[in-house]
Amino acid sequence: MHVSLLGVSQNLSSQLEFLHLQILSIVTASQLRRIFERRTNFDLRRLLDGTETFLHSMLDRLEFDLAMATSSLHCLRLDPMVRKRVADTLVPTSKVKDILYVILIARGRVVTLIRPKKHSIHPADIHILMNTVHNPSIFNSPAAASWIPICLPKFNPNGFVNAYISFLQRDNPEEPSSAPSPSSPQSSSSASVTDSDSGTALVCISGGADFDTIRSWCDGVTQKLTNEGTLKLLSDCVRSGQAEYTVSELGIPGLRHFVYKSRAQVQVTFPTFEDPYENLTDRRRIITFYQVLHDAIHAKSGQSETLKLQYIRTEKESVMGWITQPFEMYIALSPRLPKSAVVGAANAVSRWVKKEEGRLFLKDAPVF
Amino acid sequence: MAESGSVPDKSVQVKLVLLGEAAVGKSSVVLRFVSNEFQANKEPTIGAAFLTQKCRLEDRVLRYEIWDTAGQERFHSLAPMYYRNAQAAVVVYDVTKATSLEKAKSWVKELQRQANPNIVIALAGNKVDLVQPSASSSGNNSESEDEADDATATPGEAPSGESESLRQVPREEAQAYATEAGLLFFETSAKTGEGIVDLFTEIARKIPIEHILASTRGAGRAGPGANRAGVSRQEGGVNLEQGAKPKDACNC
Repeated sequence: MHVSLLGVSQNLSSQLEFLHLQILSIVTASQLRRIFERRTNFDLRRLLDGTETFLHSMLDRLEFDLAMATSSLHCLRLDPMVRKRVADTLVPTSKVKDILYVILIARGRVVTLIRPKKHSIHPADIHILMNTVHNPSIFNSPAAASWIPICLPKFNPNGFVNAYISFLQRDNPEEPSSAPSPSSPQSSSSASVTDSDSGTALVCISGGADFDTIRSWCDGVTQKLTNEGTLKLLSDCVRSGQAEYTVSELGIPGLRHFVYKSRAQVQVTFPTFEDPYENLTDRRRIITFYQVLHDAIHAKSGQSETLKLQYIRTEKESVMGWITQPFEMYIALSPRLPKSAVVGAANAVSRWVKKEEGRLFLKDAPVF
Repeated sequence: MAESGSVPDKSVQVKLVLLGEAAVGKSSVVLRFVSNEFQANKEPTIGAAFLTQKCRLEDRVLRYEIWDTAGQERFHSLAPMYYRNAQAAVVVYDVTKATSLEKAKSWVKELQRQANPNIVIALAGNKVDLVQPSASSSGNNSESEDEADDATATPGEAPSGESESLRQVPREEAQAYATEAGLLFFETSAKTGEGIVDLFTEIARKIPIEHILASTRGAGRAGPGANRAGVSRQEGGVNLEQGAKPKDACNC
């Protein structure tokens, strides 16, 4: 098994936890318990037959996914008006029973999420869903929709709900579906794994088994999103690059990268990785630093007291982790800056995020 | 996907479910029917996938709403959700794997016990391309292609060549079982397309369309006389007289 190179024990346990949750999403905790109570030497692979790819893609995610590393939700950066238009369309009518969550996903991020008043959704469940939706079995399927039983372990580890998954757009760069040549698809399926988080998907989680009602409702919603131009607005935003941002947009001298988590909203935002973190080795190094800082300010490094702030300088960069009531932040800067400038940069990041909040985070999503 | 929503009034909706052991090629059969494509090394289906395809039959347009189910054992208990309201079922096995026919038989039994009593069931022996002499292996007598075709088509005679040794389910055995159990029967190849359109066209022929129309139209639309006429026509076997006509292929 290829566990990432981070080598930090806390990180390893969080990776194992996610793999465990992914397995639960396939077999549920009570099923698993029942099986192992009956036969302690049961070969679980028999039950997981056909789902190996879920575990593989989860492992790939675990290495670089900052939303998973910070246990938070990562939204698509979007004009709040567009987000609101999407959300208003997705609120289920009272006629459609048993709907639990309705989520629109684009580029592997949440555009909006509609939920019942009494149920919030745990970020881990979102990550499991995200990994499931983008699995090649579903993403590469020519089907109009998939309907799969899934256990959302933080919602209910002992039961299945049904997930209706329909890709509204697949925006594959090399559109293989138009080429009917019978020999080519083999290569295209492996290519799409690398950019597995593309596409726009409507996900509807239902506690019931009435597929037809869910499907016709989702079909209606999709048609509405298309006819009213909302889907086009959204894909224009994504295509024009507005959904991403770079640190240069903040205009903070010496700032190379950061991760900002809003603790109240359990949401995270970060710029794209660019120079000097473009290649995987450097990216791995900075993510490892973030992980070390994360563990330090969450008292997970074995120390007796929690640190509010930790600053590390190496010859390649200075990094700082900082936790306050409203947020936690991890920033990477040029090693030539004095520590005072690092603190100043962190304050500037937090001011920028505050100003941009409406676009960066999902706020006031409708409940039903 | 693009099909959904267009001309909803004239087409008759037929719910069809695919069942069968894992890796026999259910999704590939559907992909061939819906998109006329084939993908080697497809990922296994998770849960179930939903697809639609129209099929023209004489003056009627059928809109198949297809449930392509996962073959893994852990999904077995979900199957009733898909076949409960189905008007047709395709039970697929792999001609190179004898156990897959046993699994197919148990699906047929379950369908006959628990599904809609009017359900049309077809048995499809897939991957038949693996047991036919391929074009490349018979390359030495390429000028006599027609003869070779005729030879393999001779009923009851096992074609020669090593490829035939892969076959674990003799055609006659499956055919005999299908006849006995009252199923439509086809050997198919999702890879070459052989038998796929015939399979879905033949199902379309056998579906009691008038019955579906009558039940979806409801009581309000047609008078009792018209309704009865529709039913009796169906009971008389609408499709028998059409058997002699040339086949209309599904317009995919």
